[in-house]
Amino acid sequence: MKQSLRRLAVRAIPVAAAFGLAFALFAGAGFDVGDVAGGIVEGSVTGPGAFANTVRWSIPLVLIGLGIAVSLRAGEFNIGAQGQMLLASLASVWVALKWEAPAYAVILVATALAIAVGACWSAIAGVLKVRLGADEVITTLMLNFVALQIIHWAATGPLRDPGTSGDSASTPRIDPGLRLQESGRMSLEIIGVTCAVIAVVWVLLERSRLGLHIRYTGTSPEAARWQGLPMGRIRIATYIIAGALAGLAGAAETFGPAGRVVTGSTPTLGFSALVVAVVGALGVSGTVAAGVFFGGLQAVILYLPIVSDLPTSGLRIVEGLVAMLITAQLAVVIRRRKRSPSPDEVSQIAPVGGAVESDLPEG
Amino acid sequence: MEEFVASTIRVSVPLTLAGVGSLFAVRAGIFHLGIEGLMLAAAFAAVGIAYRTESVILALLGALVVSAILSWVYWWLMERMRADAVIAGLGITGFTVGGTAFFLNVVFDKRGRLDSAVGLPRPIRGPHEGIAAYVSELSILGWLTPALVLGAWFLMRRSQFGLRLTAVGTYSYGARAAGVDEGRTRLWAMLLTSVGAGLGGVELSLGGLSGFSEGMTNGRGFIALAAALFGLLHPIGTAAAAVFFGAAEAVGVVTQVKGFDLVPRPFILTIPFLLTILAVTAGAVVRTRSKDLRAKGIDVGKP
Repeated sequence: MKQSLRRLAVRAIPVAAAFGLAFALFAGAGFDVGDVAGGIVEGSVTGPGAFANTVRWSIPLVLIGLGIAVSLRAGEFNIGAQGQMLLASLASVWVALKWEAPAYAVILVATALAIAVGACWSAIAGVLKVRLGADEVITTLMLNFVALQIIHWAATGPLRDPGTSGDSASTPRIDPGLRLQESGRMSLEIIGVTCAVIAVVWVLLERSRLGLHIRYTGTSPEAARWQGLPMGRIRIATYIIAGALAGLAGAAETFGPAGRVVTGSTPTLGFSALVVAVVGALGVSGTVAAGVFFGGLQAVILYLPIVSDLPTSGLRIVEGLVAMLITAQLAVVIRRRKRSPSPDEVSQIAPVGGAVESDLPEG
Repeated sequence: MEEFVASTIRVSVPLTLAGVGSLFAVRAGIFHLGIEGLMLAAAFAAVGIAYRTESVILALLGALVVSAILSWVYWWLMERMRADAVIAGLGITGFTVGGTAFFLNVVFDKRGRLDSAVGLPRPIRGPHEGIAAYVSELSILGWLTPALVLGAWFLMRRSQFGLRLTAVGTYSYGARAAGVDEGRTRLWAMLLTSVGAGLGGVELSLGGLSGFSEGMTNGRGFIALAAALFGLLHPIGTAAAAVFFGAAEAVGVVTQVKGFDLVPRPFILTIPFLLTILAVTAGAVVRTRSKDLRAKGIDVGKP
C-alpha cells in the first residue's frame, strides 16, 4: 500500500508542480486563475459535449501511449509515433477513397492496412537499432519528418482535396457512410475496440511470457542475455506493437472524428502520447488514466476560448512543463539526496538514456 | 541559378549556426532535443525586443540570454534532477512552442505573427549584378558564420576544453580519472549550444524576414541536429551538411517556381532525413565492427 502510494506520488508531484508553475505564470500574466481552472473542468468534463470531446482525444492518446509504454519497457525510445500514426491514417484514407465496397469491408481492410503500415514504419527503426545499432531516437525522429513529407506529397498530389488551396493541404473527407462517428458524438465501436486493446495490452504486459521477457529485456538486459532470451526479436516485437497501435489510432482518426488527413494536423499527438506513457509509469492502468487526463486537457483547448480569455497555447505550456518535470526526481531532491534512488524507483521511471546513464555513482 | 544559390545560402545560415552549436552538446553526450525550442524562443525574443526597443543589439543579446536560460534549465533538470534527456528535451521544445505563442498573445496582443521594424544589418544591399546578387540578402550574421564555424572548430579540436568535452561525451571514466568536472563541462557545452541555437533563431527571424510567426522554426532545430550527425560531429562537416540540406530545400523551392517537377518537391525534402538515417546507421555499423575486431585482438587504430 505504502509502495503504491509512493509510486503515485512520484507521478503526481511533477504533474502538480507543472500545473503550479503554469498557473503561477498565468497569474503573473494577469489571468484569473480560478476562471482558468473552472474553464479546464468545464471544457473537459461538465460543459456541453465536453466529455465526449475528452473521450475523443483520450482514444488516440491511450492507444499510442500504450504502444510507447511497451517500447519503453524494453528500453527502446521509439519517439516516431507521430509519423507512424499519420502514415497509417493516410493509408486508411486512401483505401476509403479508392475502394468501392460494402462499408464494413472497407473499414476492416483499411484498418488492417493502417495497422500494417504503422507497424512497418516503426519496424524500420527497430531493425536499424537492433540489428545494426543505429540510435532509435535519431532514426524515429527522422522517420517522422519523412512521413510528414509523404503526407504532404499525398495531400497536394494524388489525394488532393480540390477544395483546398495553399500550403495547408488536406485529403478529401471520406464518404460519410464510412464514418463511425459524427463530430461531437462518441462512437461505441471505437470505444469498444479501444477497451479491447487495453485489455489485450494488459494481458500481454502483465500475464504473458512475452510481457515478462519485454520487462526483463528493459530492466536487466544483462540477466536477459544470460537467460538466453532472444532479445533482438523481443525488442523488434516492441517496435511492431508500438507501430501497430499507432496505426490503429490512425485508422480510428480516419473513420472516427477526423475523416481525412490534413497536413500539419494534430502536430503534437505523438509527443503527448509519449508524455502520457511516461506519466502512466509505463503501466496499463496508469497510461489509460494519464491518457484520459491529457485527453481532457486537449479537449479544453477547443473549449477554453469560450469560457476564459486565456490563450489556448497556455495549455501547451502545461504539457511541456509536465514533460520537463516528469522524469525529474523531485522527491529525491526534496529529501536533500540523503540516498541514491533505489533500483525499484529507477525501474518505475522510464529507462534513463543519454549522458546521465553513463555516470558512475557519486563519491 | 542565382535564385537557387541565394536561397541555399539563406536556408543554410541558420542551419549551420544551430547545427554547429548543437555539436557542443552532442559531443558532450547529450542529444539536445530542446534545440528546436531554443531556436524558436530566441527568434521570438529577438523580434519581441526589436519590436519594443528597435535596437538590434538588444534584440540579439536578449535572444542569447533567453536561449541560455532554457539550455541551463535543461542542464539543471538532467544534471541535478536526474531527468531523462530525451523526454526533458522534448519537453523544453514543447514548452517553448506553447510559451512563444502564449507570450505573443499576452505581451504583444498579437495572434500568429509579429513584425519587427528593424532587422539585422546587411553589409551589401541589393539589387546587384553578378556575384553580389547571391549575397545581397545575407545579413551580418551570415557573413560572420564562417568565422564562427572556424572558432567552434578551434574550440573543439584545438583547445583543452574541446578535449575535455570529447572525453566527457565518449569516455566518462577517463574524464573522471583526469579530474575533469563532468557536470561543469556539460554546462559549458549546453551554454555554447545555446549560443549557436540562439544565433540561428535570430538569423531566422531578424535576418531574412524581420518577423516572428508561431512555430516558425518548423523542425529546423531537428534538421540542424541531423546536420551535426550527418557532418560526423565535426564543425566543418556540419557546416557542409547544413549547406547541403539547405540546397535540398532550395531545389524544392526553385523547381516549384519553375514548374519543373520531375521529382515531387516533398520527396526532395526527405533527402536530408534519409541521408541522416543512413549516416547514423553506417556510423553504428563501423563502431560495432571495430569493437568486435578489437575484442578479437585485432588493432584497428585508436578508439
